[in-house]
This record gives sequence, structure tokens and C-alpha cells, in this order.
Amino acid sequence: MTAPRPLPVPDANSTPYWEAAARHVLALPGCSRCGAFCVPPGPTCRHCHAADPAFTYRPVSGRGRVRSWTVVRRTSLAGFEGEVPFVLVDVELAEQEELRMIGRLLDGPDAPLRAGAPVTVAFEDVTDGVAVPGFVLGDGS
Amino acid sequence: MSPRFRAGGQVAIAGYAHSQVRRHAGRPLGALAVEAARAAIADAGLELRDIDGFVTAPLFPTSGAHTAEDGVSTVSADWLAGALGAAPRYTAGFQGVGQLPGAVALAVGAIAGGAADCVLLHRALHNPAGHYHGSARHEVGGLQQWTVPQGFFGPLPMIALPYNEYLQRYGADHESMASVVVEARKNGARIPWSYWYQRPLTAMEYLASPMVNDPVRRLDCDIPVDGVAAFVLTSAERARDLPHRPVHVAGFASSPPPPPRLPLHWPLDDIMAGGAETARRLWEHAGVGPGEVDLPQVYDGFSPFVWFWLESLGHCPAGEAHRFVQDGGIDSDAPGALPVLSGGGAIGGGRMHGVPQMLECYLQLAGRAGPRQRAGAEVAVACQSSPHYGGAVVYTAQPW
Ligand SMILES: [Zn+2]
Repeated sequence: MTAPRPLPVPDANSTPYWEAAARHVLALPGCSRCGAFCVPPGPTCRHCHAADPAFTYRPVSGRGRVRSWTVVRRTSLAGFEGEVPFVLVDVELAEQEELRMIGRLLDGPDAPLRAGAPVTVAFEDVTDGVAVPGFVLGDGS
Repeated sequence: MSPRFRAGGQVAIAGYAHSQVRRHAGRPLGALAVEAARAAIADAGLELRDIDGFVTAPLFPTSGAHTAEDGVSTVSADWLAGALGAAPRYTAGFQGVGQLPGAVALAVGAIAGGAADCVLLHRALHNPAGHYHGSARHEVGGLQQWTVPQGFFGPLPMIALPYNEYLQRYGADHESMASVVVEARKNGARIPWSYWYQRPLTAMEYLASPMVNDPVRRLDCDIPVDGVAAFVLTSAERARDLPHRPVHVAGFASSPPPPPRLPLHWPLDDIMAGGAETARRLWEHAGVGPGEVDLPQVYDGFSPFVWFWLESLGHCPAGEAHRFVQDGGIDSDAPGALPVLSGGGAIGGGRMHGVPQMLECYLQLAGRAGPRQRAGAEVAVACQSSPHYGGAVVYTAQPW
């Protein structure tokens, strides 16, 4: 029997992210002081250093470019042993310089990849009410 | 105020000991630590009663769910002092980034500041049964909820992403990395306590080995082991009267605070920008420049760190380390080459987290490297971890 995938435990900072993901919308936390996105949101804003960033979530385009990638052939993470090989992409989102996310590339392990390749967010429905953001190749058009 | 370290050259290494490095020692780590400590104290020509300081960095570097038990899977400074029956007036454990350089900095500060006269500094590493980084968690909160649900977990994808970024950006290829790993294993094979003693590797064997997280092969990773190293540090003045030639600490640096990122996300630009600042701090602190370094022992817990450190320290321009390595630039047997893995590193010795680098600096500068002894080595650097998330120490044969 295969172990289930690890599931997120949303907290005060991340609940809007997971609620939006469940609706297949990528929404990211922005600082209320300077407006910049901070992923993941921390106790302070990494851009303006505000100690009270009061993050609010805004939907983003989900489009970005691949900065790097790896093909995971072995993992010791329960729930993923049966998923190998799979591809993880390091994506810089279009909304902001150096706004980077790491997700699975859902096109499969043999998808043609290069640095700078355009990708668009896509979602894996992992269990009832939980969808995990990933990416697919292309600009979504 | 001068940025130069005021206590540079005032503290020296006077002796050492190293346990055998094994996949599983079959004994608690604390037992190995006690033996290594006693051997190091004797090697320095001292008695236990002379040791009034104990310092370590106790980190058990696993992403897995293993329990850290003092004396069994980790060895704290207090545990070791107690097990030896010592009565130190100073004990400390370094908890920051760059564990071994950080511990050396604590020991040097304690001695230079008068908190201790003779410090036993040790590093003990344990390989637990089962997967080193195994995780059976089904729910993840905190920062890891941003990465683990999509399968980004543990140090393999962590290093695979910047490694691939480097390959893509600079057109590097796997033959160059073969040269790194073959060099580490060549030297590790010459060191009797090394896990890979008498077991060198060929480039063909490397290139035929399996990928674990492309482009990372299993042989790009150091192997988890049980092992302990211990060093005795004291004032340069006192060390002059002890049996072995003292090796002086000229200065050290730890990395600047890393940019906030997803957990374990180490973009290449972060590594290189942080590394440049680590090196700048190091040269300023020690009053040394890269051109004066005879023996830059770079960290190689994952082989791409060798390229990253070579460029961070200024031995190669950005994007050139892979060519330098491929052209024989780090062959410790070639006249004029830069001996960066002459101590075998972690890939050639086992996952000892910066110990092979520090020990090689000590052995070569003290003239104690035996058949591997290099002529005229005066200035050495021991690096640990990533250039942007680690540290380094400058050692000199003479007070600098
Ligand atoms: Zn802000």
C-alpha cells in the first residue's frame, strides 16, 4: 500500500493560499506596507523590512520562466516513492523580479526543458479540498 | 577600527586525533568521542587536567525524523567533558551557520579572551540506521508547507537546482565534475582513517554511476558515516613549548545572512553573491588574499560546492571553475596546480562536515602529513558548507 502524499497544515499566514489553490487559483501574499510579494510570508517583510507587513493575498497570473530544474529519481519522502521519476522546476514568476516558487512540472519526466522556458501554474488535486500548485510548460494561451 | 581580527595569530592548534570513519561504528558516538579526545590531548603533549575548555558544534545534519540523543547520535561539549571526568571553566556549542568554522571561532575567542587556556574542540558525526533524511510525515505545517506537498524535500533537490543552473548558464559538463570526484577519492584513498581508504574511483566509474536527482549522481554526495575528530587549541605562546609545530588561526568568517527564500531553496545567484561576501569578510579578517593561499581546502559535501568555492574565493572567475577543474587545475599531484581536495574532502573521506578540510590544513602546515606532505605550505583555508551558508578559517604556519 502506498503512503498518502504529505498534506499542508494551513496557518494564519497561509490559509488564503491553500483556499485559493483549492479553487485552482494561485494567490500570493503581498506586504500591505510596500506591496511586494513575499513567498513564503514571514514575520516581517523582506523587501521593506516592515515588522507589521499584514500580508494580503492577491491572485497572480501564474506565468513564469524556468530558472532551473531537477529530475527526482530517488526520494525518502513518504508519499512520493511511487511518484518517481518526477520533475521539480524552480520558477521565477512574471509579477516580480526574483519571486520564485518551486513546483512539480506536471508534463512528465521527459518534457523538454531549458532555462528560461515559459511555464504556467497548474494544480494537482491531492485529496478532497486540497490542491497543490505545480506548473506546465507553455504560457497558458 | 581595523577590520582585521585583533587576535589573529594568537591561538594555535597543538594536536589532533581522528577516529576511524565507518558507515556504522557499532558503538555509541560518545565512546568514539572520548577516545578521540584522549588521543588528541596526548598528541598535544597535555594531560586532561590541562584542558579547561570544551567546544563543539553538535548539529546532527539530517532532514529526517531521527532523535538526537546526546552521547549516542550527537556529542555536546558538556557531555564529552562529563564523560572524560574533566572540570572545564568554559564549554560552548556553536549553533549558527558554518558549524566547524563557528566552533573554531568560539575556541579562539575563549582562549584569546582568557576564558580558557586549552580548548578541546571536537566534531562528532553519526549515521543513523535507516534513511538518513527519511520522512514519514503526512502533514506539514510551518515553512515546509510551501515546498514539501509538491515533493521538494531534503538536500538532494536543494543542491540539484543550483548545480543545474550552473551547468545551463556556463555550459559545464559532467566530465568536469568527474574530475572533482575522482580527485577527492584519489586523496581519500590515501588516508588510513578515511571511509574510502585504498578505494579510488575512475572517471568512467563516476560517469557510469546512477543519477539520484538529475544532475546529481550518488557519487556527488558524501557518504554518511560515524566518525569523530578532536583538536587541541591553545595560545600560540604556550603551543611553542608543546611537541608539535603550532598551526595558527589567522582569522575566520561566516556567511552573511542569506536572503529569505523557500526552505532549502538555494538559487545559484544567492550562493555566489553570498560567497563573494563570505570571502571578502574572510580576507579582511585574516589579512590575507587568495593569491597568498597555498592550500585552499574547499568544501565538497556535494561536489558542485567545489566549483562554487573556487569562484567565491577568487581562484577562478565566475563560470570558469568547471574549466579550471577539467584542465587539471586541482590535481594535487600536478606541479603548480591548486591542491583544493588534497585532504580527500568529504567525498573522499566521509560526511565529516568540514573536518577533512580543517585537518588537512593542520597536517600540512604542521608538517605532519606524512607521505602526502607538501613542501612550503604556509597559508591554508578550510571551508565548510555552501559559500553563502557556511564559513571558512585561515590557518598559517607562522603567526600572521
Ligand atoms: Zn514590505
